[in-house]
Amino acid sequence: MRFGRISKAVGVAAAAALALSACAGNSGGSTPSSAAAAAKSGGSATVVEVNAFNTFNPNTADGNTDINSKVSYATHSGFFYIDNKLNVVRNEKFGKMEKVSDNPLTVKYTINDGVKWSDGTPVSAADLVLQWAAFSGYYNDADAEGKKGTTYFSYAGDPTGLALTDFPELGDDNRSITLKYSKPFADWEIALGGPGIDIPAHVLAKKAGLADAKAFVDMIKGMPRGDAKSPKPANKQLKAMADMWNTGFDTKTLPADPSLFLSNGPYVVKAMNQDQSLTMVKNKDYNWGPEAKLDEITVRYIGEAPAQVQALKNGEADIIAPQASADTVEQLKALESQGVTVEVGNQLSYDHIDLNYSGPFADKNVREAFMKTVPRKDIVDKIVKKLDENAKPLDSQLFVPDQAKYADSVKDNGSSAYQDVDIEGAKKLLNGATPSVRIMYNKDNPNRVDAFSLIRESAGKAGFKVVDGGLGKSDWGKALGDGSYDATIFGWINSGVGVSGVPQIFKSGNDSNFNKFSDPEADKLMEELIVTTDKAKQDDLIQQIDKKIWASAYGLPLFQAVGVDAYSDRITGVKYMPNQTGVWWNFWEWAQK
Amino acid sequence: MVTYIVRRLLTAALILLGASFLVYLLTAASGDPLEEYRAINAANKQQLMDARTELLQLDVPPPLRYFKWLGGAAQCLVPFAGTCDLGKNIVGQPVTDALGHALVQTLTLVTGATVLAILIGITLGIITALRQYSALDYGVTFMAFLFFSLPIFWVAVLLKEFGAIGFNNFLRNPEIPLATAIGIGLVLGAVIAVAVGGELKRRVLAGGVVFLFVAAILIYFSATEWFKTPGLGPVLIAIAGVGLAFAVTLLTAGLKNRKALQSSLIAVGVGVVLYFVVQPLLDQATFLMIVLLGVATVLVGLGIGYLVGGYDRGQSMRAAAITSFLVGFMVLLDRFMQAWPSYFNNSRVRGRPIATIGASTPNIEGDFWVLGLDTFTHLILPTLALILISLASYTRFTRASMLEIMNMDYIRTARAKGLTERTVVMRHAFRNALIPIATIVAFDIGGLIGGAVITESVFSVRGMGFLFLDGISHVDPNPVMGVFLCVAITAMVFNLIADLAYSALDPRVRVKA
Amino acid sequence: MSQPSQQDEIMAEEAALPQPPAAGIEPVLEAKGLSQGQIVRKRFLGHSGAIIGLVVFAFIFILAFTSVGYLGIPGWWKYNHEQVSPLVNDGAPTSSLWPLAWGEHPFGQDRIGRDLFAMTMRGAQQSITVMIVIGLIAGLIGVVVGAVSGYFRGWAEAILMRLTDVIIIIPALLLAAVMAQMAGRRDSGSWFSAFASTNGVLALGIFLGLISWVSLARLMRGEFLSLREREFVDAARISGASNARIIFKHILPNAVGVLIVNVTLTMSAAILTETALSFLGVGVKAPDTSLGLLISQNQQAFSTRPWLFWFPGLFIVLICLSINFIGDGLRDAFDPRQKKFNAKKAKDAERKPEPAPVTALDGPGDR
Repeated sequence: MRFGRISKAVGVAAAAALALSACAGNSGGSTPSSAAAAAKSGGSATVVEVNAFNTFNPNTADGNTDINSKVSYATHSGFFYIDNKLNVVRNEKFGKMEKVSDNPLTVKYTINDGVKWSDGTPVSAADLVLQWAAFSGYYNDADAEGKKGTTYFSYAGDPTGLALTDFPELGDDNRSITLKYSKPFADWEIALGGPGIDIPAHVLAKKAGLADAKAFVDMIKGMPRGDAKSPKPANKQLKAMADMWNTGFDTKTLPADPSLFLSNGPYVVKAMNQDQSLTMVKNKDYNWGPEAKLDEITVRYIGEAPAQVQALKNGEADIIAPQASADTVEQLKALESQGVTVEVGNQLSYDHIDLNYSGPFADKNVREAFMKTVPRKDIVDKIVKKLDENAKPLDSQLFVPDQAKYADSVKDNGSSAYQDVDIEGAKKLLNGATPSVRIMYNKDNPNRVDAFSLIRESAGKAGFKVVDGGLGKSDWGKALGDGSYDATIFGWINSGVGVSGVPQIFKSGNDSNFNKFSDPEADKLMEELIVTTDKAKQDDLIQQIDKKIWASAYGLPLFQAVGVDAYSDRITGVKYMPNQTGVWWNFWEWAQK
Repeated sequence: MVTYIVRRLLTAALILLGASFLVYLLTAASGDPLEEYRAINAANKQQLMDARTELLQLDVPPPLRYFKWLGGAAQCLVPFAGTCDLGKNIVGQPVTDALGHALVQTLTLVTGATVLAILIGITLGIITALRQYSALDYGVTFMAFLFFSLPIFWVAVLLKEFGAIGFNNFLRNPEIPLATAIGIGLVLGAVIAVAVGGELKRRVLAGGVVFLFVAAILIYFSATEWFKTPGLGPVLIAIAGVGLAFAVTLLTAGLKNRKALQSSLIAVGVGVVLYFVVQPLLDQATFLMIVLLGVATVLVGLGIGYLVGGYDRGQSMRAAAITSFLVGFMVLLDRFMQAWPSYFNNSRVRGRPIATIGASTPNIEGDFWVLGLDTFTHLILPTLALILISLASYTRFTRASMLEIMNMDYIRTARAKGLTERTVVMRHAFRNALIPIATIVAFDIGGLIGGAVITESVFSVRGMGFLFLDGISHVDPNPVMGVFLCVAITAMVFNLIADLAYSALDPRVRVKA
Repeated sequence: MSQPSQQDEIMAEEAALPQPPAAGIEPVLEAKGLSQGQIVRKRFLGHSGAIIGLVVFAFIFILAFTSVGYLGIPGWWKYNHEQVSPLVNDGAPTSSLWPLAWGEHPFGQDRIGRDLFAMTMRGAQQSITVMIVIGLIAGLIGVVVGAVSGYFRGWAEAILMRLTDVIIIIPALLLAAVMAQMAGRRDSGSWFSAFASTNGVLALGIFLGLISWVSLARLMRGEFLSLREREFVDAARISGASNARIIFKHILPNAVGVLIVNVTLTMSAAILTETALSFLGVGVKAPDTSLGLLISQNQQAFSTRPWLFWFPGLFIVLICLSINFIGDGLRDAFDPRQKKFNAKKAKDAERKPEPAPVTALDGPGDR
């Protein structure tokens, strides 16, 4: 169900997009009260992760594996975090993030007094400036071929938002900065300053040969925005800092230099056993956010789901979140008798079948006929029902059921026509034709293979000649959009709800618009969408776009991926989370019984 | 001889060069390194792909990339310069570092398993050869083939379920119901009765004795909660020591050699006395100390044998040395058992000692004994799995080799001379049968560091096999090449050693100069 | 890569080869008036393990190839391995021992309702095909390379043996990964990809055959090296026999025992290799299936839907075991040095006349 190693960038982007569209309007500045206050402090827990930790900077293109982000999340704090209802929750104990003006969009970040790194240095505006410089790609002037100019920070995330800003205005107290956007940008709330301020500017400056963080700020203050058209020689000191940022924090063993793993969050890394485990203990100074209960969290790396389950069963692990499969879930449920709690929920990725707007499917009737034959209920029953009893086919291209707007949209987007297989209807639409269609999918993903088998079986009944166009895992991705197939089954991680995610997939001519869907009206709506900051208006626009997509017989969403986590009876406070942060989102509430 | 070796090494270097080129190209062609970015819809999809392209130098054609890599690798040939550069893997770790770590992981995992598999396999092979076509022979053959036929991930899952989870649950309340104790005794007794061979009376007797013994021990263990506080104690060491002394003497010198028996028994006595002496010393044990003590034990044994002497002093010394080593081993075992409760109740272990994954309990603290036990409890399952599947080849091969030797004319001559069966088997047949086995062992050791890919992945040990597999799955040639180099070089060196050893052991075989 | 033992066995046997048979005298005592073939057959038939293995293997072979059909010929079983049918009894096996009945899905169904019996049979077919293809290819190449390098020696030997060295040290797993990737390419690649994607199992068998001949070649070379020095070869040469004639008529028949035995061993190792490769995701690909793929796909079902795991596993073990026993029987039957074994005596179930089976552990020499 997951597509190889899912990059954190994608995950965060998806979560962010979803979070925003879901709740951009109502996220107040509240710090959550600790719900599990009853559980006592102290104790330890062992969490299992698939990948091995390898860098203290999870923002780089090479370092953005889920585990690095999770460890960073536990050891750093920021202005906000995302909860399991995908709300952006502000952490006012850390600092204040306020929208000063709507036009032009201006945001002021202020860090509270007393917030400091674990070496005692206060977290300052310089740290924010560093993050801004890295995330915005402001100074990059490499041209598209990468032959001339310099790319400084190799940032894995999406720079579109911060690229709209100029060098921030610094507050007098060295604790605040103010960002001004040249265009309204809906994602401003999650663009900077969280969930963790993870790289200390004063350390980076020292390592690059600068006097201190102030020298760094002064240095880049004067530098102009990078221009790919007229690249300049690289600034040596900034380059040195960027190199340090890119690779200097890569390590599999605990560095001898403690400044390489400074914490400003609830935990601080204490020990690392290469490719085996990582241990974090409480950060004594920390009092600027939700207070952690456990004294110690150990992360162990186990690749295979069965091995994870057996480790939980044997008491070697307390919390696991293996890749969900029917058997894994059943095995975990069998452990409930020994006190294990199992949580099953939706993930943000979903599988779908897209029909090309060309070849045999150029005719809308054929597309509609094919969609009528797709046995969505059957697919859900056979692939995800075993994991999640409440699973239903996904009925919107842009919303997921967790969102309030989903039900509204489903009601009038036209999905009701494709609830059940309608072979007769399909035959009528085909009018005796027996088009031959090639379906491309990842042959190495069992879910896709099974979905394909079921679709082929059903479509054949209506007269479609379905050709098996499945490709191996190293080839199917390259084949996307190359026209060698007529329909494809694959998954998006971004469920398409995000303001920036929607046009990526559905706007004419965009990179990820693989089936060449093109609707001028939808394009116009999407253009409007990306500069709309009002939540209700966004939802409205998305709903309209959803309807347009369904009306043109684009294809069908099939089902959402199912995620699972389980924890032993020693532990309380673990809660399911659909996005990439997984169970870690509320690690501070974990407690030992 | 020297020319032969030089020539072999030269061809090996050429082969290595050619094969490494092939392997590099194959790895580069084995998949799509950008796969994980293909179906994402982030705005900076292209940048991410570019970053990966730059990291893996995908814009350089693979043959050129190979020569770049070779340039770095060639620096490894400069001794002590520390310029060795095998590139970095996809997460930015130098491959040399990753290899070093993986090598340690793999060796800890497979060394014990291989040694044990060789020892057990050879023993079983000899016994089955001496009892060709007996029930024992068929039984061992069947079991060996059965284990050989089992896919290892299957064995691993079963072992974890019963060997770790089941056993740990049992340890929570280590009571063996009477019926179970008797049942286990019955089964073992029956096995022994079948295996022992000979007349019915003898079989029944042997089976009966084993049944009574096993059942009694299990009941005793259950009653005293032995599994929670295990230990041998001096009495048991003494009794077992005397038994061992007889067995060792029987094998090395024959019981007729009274002097050898005497020296072995004296060694046992000394061992039991020393048991009390070394206890305080063992409390501060380090690994080096244990090794030194082991050496000392053997020396003491040799000394005893030398002093007792007899018509064949060498035999006495050998018997006494082996006996004292075994007794020393029991003392060591006893000390480990003494440490068991403290390990068992360690806050990190929490009463579930047998582990299903990894190489050690994270953050465990303790003395030499606790840490030793920790390693042991982590290694036992993968070791068992590896032994089970690799037993077959050693058993079958030793059996074939032994059978062949036993039919040689010189064995007939030896028998005709009136030598005892022990001398014929142990001195004339066994040693010669070992010659071809020496080569297979050399081959196996050469292949050791390749790691056991599947075993590593199911027991989540990140060794050479994992490194290799991970490299392939990310289409990242550097770690793949690193592993390949290590494996190929050791394999070739050990092949050479195997050939040389063969010609050294068997005078009929000469290397071509 | 995972279970190297059988390969080792073959290699080590090769190492053992330079030992000449005892003084070059063939023990013909028990072979009065019998041809070599007859002796071998007698001995083989007297090896009960091998006979049982043969019967079991024949049973599985017939069951697998008749039940779900092969090469378009329909079989007698009502489902095939791709057919999806409604879940009966939640997919659990419907067969029972008492009352003895097959039921609708005797081995159960997988999660989308494919019949596991059909899949297992198809898997067994594929695994047996892989095995036989490997046996044939590895045997053929091994014999040719071994014979040429062992008989002609010189530069031919040098080149061929270096070639085997290269092949031996290239990791099979890597080759398999490249193969799997090409097979996954279907029609966008070369003729090879096209072939591999439509005949996945056959391609895998050929590929494994192409890399597993090396140990056999080394072994055959050793055999040829020692046999070509024998008197009967000299005699043939003097009487004017051509090289080809000497190789095929004189030397090969003498080496055929070693050959057959080791081919069977390679074959049983091949099934396990296929299993391991499928476990690692580079072997046979869905929707086609093989025994190895079935158990690796279903290994998580171990404790929840165990039948998905046990039935294919049982067949792997059975096939492997029977092949091993057949090989073992052949080894004993072909080995002229095995004097101990005597078909007639074995029938009489008498103890051997040679030294009573006293092991070292039995007690001090009583004789």
